[in-house]
Amino acid sequence: MNSKIQNEIKELVQQQVISQEIASEIEAYYHSKKSTSPNRLFTVFGVLGSLLVGLGIILILAHNWDNFSKITKTLLAFLPLIIGQGSVGFSILKNKSTVWKEASGTFLFFAVGSSISLISQIYNIPEDFNAFLLTWILLCAPLIYLLKSNTLGILHIVFMTYYAIEFGFDFLSTGNTPWYYLLLLVIVLPHYWQLIKYQFNTNITSIFNWLLPLSLTIVLIAFINDVDALGILMYVILFGLLYNIGKLPKFDNGRLRQNGYLILGSLGTVYMLMITSFDWFWDDLIKKPSDFNSQEAYISLVLFIIALGILVYSYIRKQIKFYNISHYAFIIFTVVFLVVFSNKYISIALINLLILVIALITIKIGTNKFHFGILNYGLLIIAILIVCRFFDTDMSFIIRGLLFVGFGLGFFLANYFMFKKQKKRKMNLK
Amino acid sequence: MKSIYIFIIFLVVVTAQIFVPTQMILDREAVLNTGVPYKFKTRPIDPADPFRGKYIALRFKANKWSTIDSLWVRKEKVYVYLDTDSLGFAKIHSVSKEIQPEINKDFIEAKVDWYKEYNNELHVTYPFNRFYMEEGKAYDAEVVVRENQKNIENVYALVFVKNGESVLKDVIIDNMPLKDYVGKEPKQE
Repeated sequence: MNSKIQNEIKELVQQQVISQEIASEIEAYYHSKKSTSPNRLFTVFGVLGSLLVGLGIILILAHNWDNFSKITKTLLAFLPLIIGQGSVGFSILKNKSTVWKEASGTFLFFAVGSSISLISQIYNIPEDFNAFLLTWILLCAPLIYLLKSNTLGILHIVFMTYYAIEFGFDFLSTGNTPWYYLLLLVIVLPHYWQLIKYQFNTNITSIFNWLLPLSLTIVLIAFINDVDALGILMYVILFGLLYNIGKLPKFDNGRLRQNGYLILGSLGTVYMLMITSFDWFWDDLIKKPSDFNSQEAYISLVLFIIALGILVYSYIRKQIKFYNISHYAFIIFTVVFLVVFSNKYISIALINLLILVIALITIKIGTNKFHFGILNYGLLIIAILIVCRFFDTDMSFIIRGLLFVGFGLGFFLANYFMFKKQKKRKMNLK
Repeated sequence: MKSIYIFIIFLVVVTAQIFVPTQMILDREAVLNTGVPYKFKTRPIDPADPFRGKYIALRFKANKWSTIDSLWVRKEKVYVYLDTDSLGFAKIHSVSKEIQPEINKDFIEAKVDWYKEYNNELHVTYPFNRFYMEEGKAYDAEVVVRENQKNIENVYALVFVKNGESVLKDVIIDNMPLKDYVGKEPKQE
C-alpha cells in the first residue's frame, strides 16, 4: 500500500475523523486490491524483452548471410516462428500468467514478420511491402483474442496505421485507398470494447483511448484522392466525431488526460476551423466547386452519419447534461460548406464567429470547473484567432499593437481573477 | 472458453502462419524448377529495406516497348511477352492488357511504369527488380558495376519464367554470380 495513504489514514484516526475500525477496513481493502492486481512491472519488462529480441532477430536475418545455403536460410526463417508458436502454445495449454502470454505473443508477432521477410529475401520477392505488412498483421490478429493480449492489440493498431500510410502514400501513385485498414480496425474493436467494459480506469485502456483516434487522424488522409476542400470537410467531421465520442459520459467522467478522443477532437476541430477562417479557402471553393460524386464525399457522409448518430444517441439517452457548441461544430461547418454563399465574407464571418463562440464557451467551462488548463485553452484559441486575422486584414500597426496589449492584459486578469476566486472558495470550504 | 478450445483455434492460426511462408517457397521453387530461364541485361543501384535488409535495385534495358496505343494507367497490370535477341538476352515481344493465348511466347505479369508520348514508348516495371545481398556487399556491387561501365554489357539478371510468374535467381557479372564477383574484387586490385 502507498505510504502516503497509510500516513493519511493515521492522521484521520488521530484527528478522530474515522474510527480505528474503519481505518483497518480501508487498509484491508488496499491490501486485497494490491494482491489481485497483476505484476505490471514484470509484464512490461517481459514484453519489452520479447520486443527487442524479436526486432533483433529481424535485423540479424536482414544481414542476409551469403555463406548459408538456401536450405539453411529457409530453416533459419522457420526457427523463430516455431519457437514463438511453441511458447505461445505452452502458455495457452498451461494457462500461464499474463506475463507469459504477453511476452510469448509479442515474440511470435515478430517471428511471423521475420519468417515472411526472410523467404522474400531468399527468393528476391520484390517491392510489395504493403501486401507483406497486411499478411503479417492478419496472420497475428487472432492471437489478440487467443491470448487476450493488450500488447498485440497495440502492435496491431500501430502496424495497421503503418500499413495504411504505406499503401496510401505509395511513391508517385494516386488513387490508392487502404480499404483493408477498415477491416483491420474492425478486427481490433471487440478487444477494445472488452477493455472499455471491464478495465476502463486502467492505463492500458487510456493507451488505446489515445492510439485509436490518433491512428484514425493519421490514416484519414490516405482516404483522400484529391487534396481539395472535401478533404478538409472530411477532417472537420472526423474531429467532430472524435469530440462527440470523447463527450460520452463513460469517457468524459474519467480523467482528461485519458480521453484522447476529446483532446484530439477539440484540438483538431479548432485547427481545421482556423485553416478555413482564411479567405483563400473559400475563394478556392467558389472557383472550383467540390465534386459530390467522389470518394471523399461518400466518406464524409458516412462519418457525418456516425457522428450524428452518436449525438442523437446521447441526446435520447439523456446522457449529457450540458451541450456546448463544440458538439455541433461539425454540423455547422458542413452547412456553411454546403451552402457556399456567393459572398465569401458571409462564410468567413460565420466560421470566425464559430471559433469565437467555441473559445468563449471553453473559457466559461474553465471558470465553472476552476480548471486553469481549460481556461487558458479558451484564451489561446482567441489569441490564435487574432494572430490569424492579422495576416489578412489591413489594420494599422497601432491598432494591432493595442489589440495585442489588451489581449495580453486579458490573459493576466482572467487567470488572476480565477486564482482569487479559487482561493476564496478554498477558504469557504475550510 | 476452455483452454483446450483456445488451443485448437491456435493450432489453426499456427497452420496459417506456417502455410503462408511455405506456399511462398513452393510457388517460387515450381518456377525455378520448371520455368524457362531468360537473361535480362541490367544495372544495379543500392537502396535498403527496413525489414528485409540490403538489396540492390535493378534497372533493366529491356523495359521499353514502342506502341501508338497511349491509354496506359500507371501501375496497371500488364502481360509482357518475351523474346530473345541474337545474343541470347531477353527482349520484349509485345505488351498486352490481357493474356493473349494466340501468342506462343513466355510472358511475365508486370506493371505499367509510364508512357512517353513524344516517342510512343511504354515503360514497364518487372516484378523482379530487387536482388537481396549480404549487408556490405550491396554497395560494393553498385561500385563494381559503376567502375566496369565498359563491360556493362556483361551484367544480366537470370530470371525463370513460367505462366506469368517470374523468379529472379541470380545476377551475373562476367559469367560469375554477383556476390562472388564482389567478394573477389579486393584481391584483384
